[in-house]
Amino acid sequence: MNKLLALCCATLLAGCGATTTIDEYRPNNQIMEINSEESVVILGRRDAGHYDTDREFIDCVASKMEGADIGVFPEQQFVDAIYPWFEPRTAPKGLKRLTRLMEDPAIKQQIERNRIRYLVWLDGSTKTHDKGGSISCAIGPGGGGCFGFAQWEKSSIYEAIVWDLTNLTEKGRLRVDSSGTSYLLGVVAPIPLLTPVKNDACAGLGTQLKQFFTLDQVQ
Amino acid sequence: MPTTKITIFSILLAVLFISGCSTSAQVQIDSAFPTVVSKPKAVKAAIVFTDEFKTYVATPNRTTSIDLGSAQTELLSNAFAGLFRDVEFVSTAADVTLENALVITPSVQEVQVSTPSDTYLNVYEVWIKYSLDIQTAGGDPVDSWFMPAYGKTPDSFMLSKTNAIEEATVIALRDAGAKLMLDFYRIPSVYNWLVREQLLDEEQ
Repeated sequence: MNKLLALCCATLLAGCGATTTIDEYRPNNQIMEINSEESVVILGRRDAGHYDTDREFIDCVASKMEGADIGVFPEQQFVDAIYPWFEPRTAPKGLKRLTRLMEDPAIKQQIERNRIRYLVWLDGSTKTHDKGGSISCAIGPGGGGCFGFAQWEKSSIYEAIVWDLTNLTEKGRLRVDSSGTSYLLGVVAPIPLLTPVKNDACAGLGTQLKQFFTLDQVQ
Repeated sequence: MPTTKITIFSILLAVLFISGCSTSAQVQIDSAFPTVVSKPKAVKAAIVFTDEFKTYVATPNRTTSIDLGSAQTELLSNAFAGLFRDVEFVSTAADVTLENALVITPSVQEVQVSTPSDTYLNVYEVWIKYSLDIQTAGGDPVDSWFMPAYGKTPDSFMLSKTNAIEEATVIALRDAGAKLMLDFYRIPSVYNWLVREQLLDEEQ
């Protein structure tokens, strides 16, 4: 009986794992050097009408990068430092527009003063779909409880584009696609079995992204 | 604990819960705005911030009021200073002292707010519709430019209505600054005036 119970639990928990795929593209095999005085800024795309690249995900990727001793310049501080040129309405969507922006000495000076070497654009979102089942909870004088079963699928799709602000070139692209199913069991108490889809996407993207950069120690 | 104390505590708790469900919002914009990064053009302008504009309180619906006056004055002062090399801020057009300058009077045409209960979207949105009345220092009309600005919260999770509308309004105000910086010199009538007055640098 105990073995059966353990098997059931193991099967359920195994079902809570997310499937994550990462695609990487680099125009060449050139290493991306960054010294300890320079930093990377990670910005979220916010110009789409129906979604915003969430700050929580950007912070998560930034923390993975910082874990590798790569200096990460805070997103809001960067957007404020060169206001209004990275607002949703004005942010460059391509290198051509970035090059034009960098021709403005005031903008170039701000970027150089803050020692920002690379810019990483993050674009994407996490969506919930394929919801199924139902769970109901009730409470009465004699006690309460939940009964039922619900499941839903989540998918996180994010793309990172790395721009070199010194050479004004694109250094590479990463795409992470993570999906998984979460469950909620109502057996008197509600038991959530959640798949950390967004966390997996962040961990995958952050780990891959920090491999892009080679930390060059300043003497 | 005596019964009276428990009753008072329960009532207090209930009042707190109910007040949390209040649908009215009085929003005061207290955020500071960043300085504009821009090289101003060699153009003179007088900006007329009327008392009505400086103390403007928007009431987009019966239950919402947004005190925009000081925030929009600060933001637009900052943006205009990034557009013009010589700029003066006055309260009426009669106070303008600059010659051969543009006289710009901003005003708010309308403010709209949408909440998740209106749209079934998971965001709060704010639209601010500005109008810039542009004249020459001699009083000749140049243009009346419609300048819409938009802001929305990333989501509405754990946000009170007041905080969410404040956040969306700050984003809309920043958008107004961005729109002004990006498009002002692209207004055909303004560009033509600059050409006529020979105020454009060779590089422009």
